[in-house]
Amino acid sequence: MKLSRHLRDNVRRLRAVYSDCSDVIFHELRIGGHTPAMLVFIEGMIMLEELDQQVIAPLRDGPGPGPSLEDVRSRTAVASIRTVSTLNELLDEIADGHPVLLVDGLEAALVYGLSHWEQRSVEEPTAESVLRGPREGFIESLRTNIAMLRRKIRSPKLKVITFRLGSQSRTPIAVIYMEGAAAPALVREVLSRLNRIEITDVLETAYIEEWIEDNRFSPFPQLLSTERPDVAASYLVEGHVVIMVEGTPTVLVAPATFFSLLQTPEDYYERYVVGTAIRWLRYFFFAISLLGPSLYVAVVTFHQEMIPTTLMLTMARSREQIPFTALMEAFLMETMFEALREAGARLPKQIGSAVSIVGALVIGQAAISAGIVSAPMVMVVAITGIASFMAPRYTIGIPIRLLRFPIMFLAGMMGLLGVILGVIAILIHLLQLRSFGVPYMSPLAPIQKHGLKDVLFRAPRWNLNRRS
Amino acid sequence: MIRKLLLVLVSTACLLPTAGCWNAKEVNDLAIITGAGIDLTEDGRIELSVKIYLTSPGGTESDGPMTGQPNGDKGTSVIRTVLGINMADAASRLQKMISRKVFWGQAEVFLFGERMARAGLEEPMDFMLRHTASRERSQVFVANGPAKDVLLLTPPVDRSLSDALVSMAEQQTGLNITMKELAQMMVGKSRAAVLPIVHIYPEKDLQDAFPYIAGMAVIKEGRMIGKLDEYTTRGVMWLRNEMKHATVTVKPDESGGYVSLHLLRNHTRLIPSIQGDRWIMTVRITGQDDIVENTSNLDLSEPDHLEQVEREMERFVEERVKLALDTAQKKLKVDIFGFADAFWRRYPKQWMANASRWDEIFPEMEVRLETDIRIARPGLIGKNFFPRQEQR
Repeated sequence: MKLSRHLRDNVRRLRAVYSDCSDVIFHELRIGGHTPAMLVFIEGMIMLEELDQQVIAPLRDGPGPGPSLEDVRSRTAVASIRTVSTLNELLDEIADGHPVLLVDGLEAALVYGLSHWEQRSVEEPTAESVLRGPREGFIESLRTNIAMLRRKIRSPKLKVITFRLGSQSRTPIAVIYMEGAAAPALVREVLSRLNRIEITDVLETAYIEEWIEDNRFSPFPQLLSTERPDVAASYLVEGHVVIMVEGTPTVLVAPATFFSLLQTPEDYYERYVVGTAIRWLRYFFFAISLLGPSLYVAVVTFHQEMIPTTLMLTMARSREQIPFTALMEAFLMETMFEALREAGARLPKQIGSAVSIVGALVIGQAAISAGIVSAPMVMVVAITGIASFMAPRYTIGIPIRLLRFPIMFLAGMMGLLGVILGVIAILIHLLQLRSFGVPYMSPLAPIQKHGLKDVLFRAPRWNLNRRS
Repeated sequence: MIRKLLLVLVSTACLLPTAGCWNAKEVNDLAIITGAGIDLTEDGRIELSVKIYLTSPGGTESDGPMTGQPNGDKGTSVIRTVLGINMADAASRLQKMISRKVFWGQAEVFLFGERMARAGLEEPMDFMLRHTASRERSQVFVANGPAKDVLLLTPPVDRSLSDALVSMAEQQTGLNITMKELAQMMVGKSRAAVLPIVHIYPEKDLQDAFPYIAGMAVIKEGRMIGKLDEYTTRGVMWLRNEMKHATVTVKPDESGGYVSLHLLRNHTRLIPSIQGDRWIMTVRITGQDDIVENTSNLDLSEPDHLEQVEREMERFVEERVKLALDTAQKKLKVDIFGFADAFWRRYPKQWMANASRWDEIFPEMEVRLETDIRIARPGLIGKNFFPRQEQR
């Protein structure tokens, strides 16, 4: 709806829209003591002092009648001034915390970029800490987050497309990419998928993640989420697209592959030999965290001849008085471990230590001496637990934790055959999975030689981008 | 999607019978056999004795409530003995006597009683090789007497009898023959095999009696036909390239003392050749040794003196090998060195033509010895620091 020429009409409409909104302030003033005008803003979202000094004072004290749009505009000393001419645009600007000025006789409103509200300061992201490298993390403000990226990549090729999503929350969203690096088709695809979303509220990136991923039923994340500007920037220069949402420090990177989810920024900040070694350690323990208890169950219930004799005899002794089968035992302990972990993650830090003490007792010594589980089982569960903490991203750790249970069941039913079947099933799923058209397991499958340099090992920097 | 999921579920369910949880055997339900002894009774039946590891913790109370650990490493075992018309029969009878499932997968040691070995090993070997659970890598021995007597021992040093026998065999001061090697020898071209003999020391009914390996049993066509003493066994081991650890003491001429050498590396190569009608085997023994003791008046930092020791060592090796050769060729007339396989590999046609004559060829065969021993490390000191002053 277009704005009216008459201030009275516009104000009436606005007051109707903002009925019962005590935080919306309607400030009446006369420009040059003559022309009626109305300043509308939301309390607590603007720079009040600046508004007083740079907008209200010059307008009020300025010369007399007949202000045109240009006239009003040039009288104020504010760098960011826009004009809007429809009511909907006006509402969005007010909601963003921009004071708007409606002047009698003008069909447009002036928007002053004087928004300001309390926000968290830039801190180190707790979920993705590094020993070496930048310590800053994204915060809840979209503007600040974009600025952080711009500070890392100063090229004008860094393109930022912003729009709103959510019919109710009208949340600002930014799609960021590097021109020349990102395939235009990818950018188009991201934008078109985002535009197809029918949602009322966007409070976090997860809200849109489920709308735009390729396979909605897969347990595996098909978009990479990060809180680190350096990670986002490194993906941008590699041609990925970053999606940001106002109000959350987590940004999405598309497309994501399986191996990119297993990388940490530190792989690139440490020397390449160290980076490669740690990467392999991570791959190994990733497999352990998926298969650890299953392998133990399979070997103990089906393939006792595979255990070295000395170990077998010791294990036989420790299992002698356990009332449960190995499978039951594993289920019990793994469920217990997951519960402890979840409890620890949700509790305030002060109580967290109490949980870990009790937990260590429950799944540790006490469980053994109570004769409920055997000592080797506790060890296997502990190793699996440690291994699952090695997953560099929480999002890739969750599906592995989940899939551990069905594989354990298969192992208890069919032994190593079951474990292999489970692994094959997971592999088949992973191989047919795609993220924005990119095969999830690439560059391993389909194989791309130059890409393997950053998967099987971390090639030195001078060789990393060479494609021969 | 739902259909797909159902499909996955159904196909998984279809897979279950392929392996199925009835194959599952919890460790708690197993009777773990660590060693087995096979004897032949007077009336020709098989007496199978097995050593079963006792998993039930006897005295956990002494460990206190919190540790919950298996009490000590030294497990105890029980012996079960059954009679049967053959191995399979005995094994099934054994199962009847034991409440738990008999588990052969960890049997590390198989002992044949002497009478059993003399009667023939083919029958029990067939059972053990055919059995899916038993290990081809388990060690095989012949007991000097009934196998059961050895099985009854509880050696004081090791955790179990099997452990003791395996580690003794693996040190390769004695012979080390696995089930697979025995089978290979028995079906090899010469159809002759050797097995280490287990003795009981000092006497079988004593409390701290323990087994030790000395000498070897010579087996031809599956039957044990003779024993070799420890001295001859060493010679056979030199020839079979099985000499890996040994300390040899020689007395070089006019040196007034002994020099002891320790084998560092040793390799024996069999080089067969047929010249006209004569079958000749060249045995090339090369080795590198350390000197571990020197009480002679030789200065081992002098190359000349070192060479003297080397020659002496070569003489020593040749002497031993010749003794073994004589015993095998003249006395037992059995090719226990794998000469037949060596000829067969090199001259397959000639060997095939003369395969039936092998028992005549072997005793008459000329064996040439080429030994080349080097001393690699004479040790930290050269001559003997503390020579006896015999002049005074």
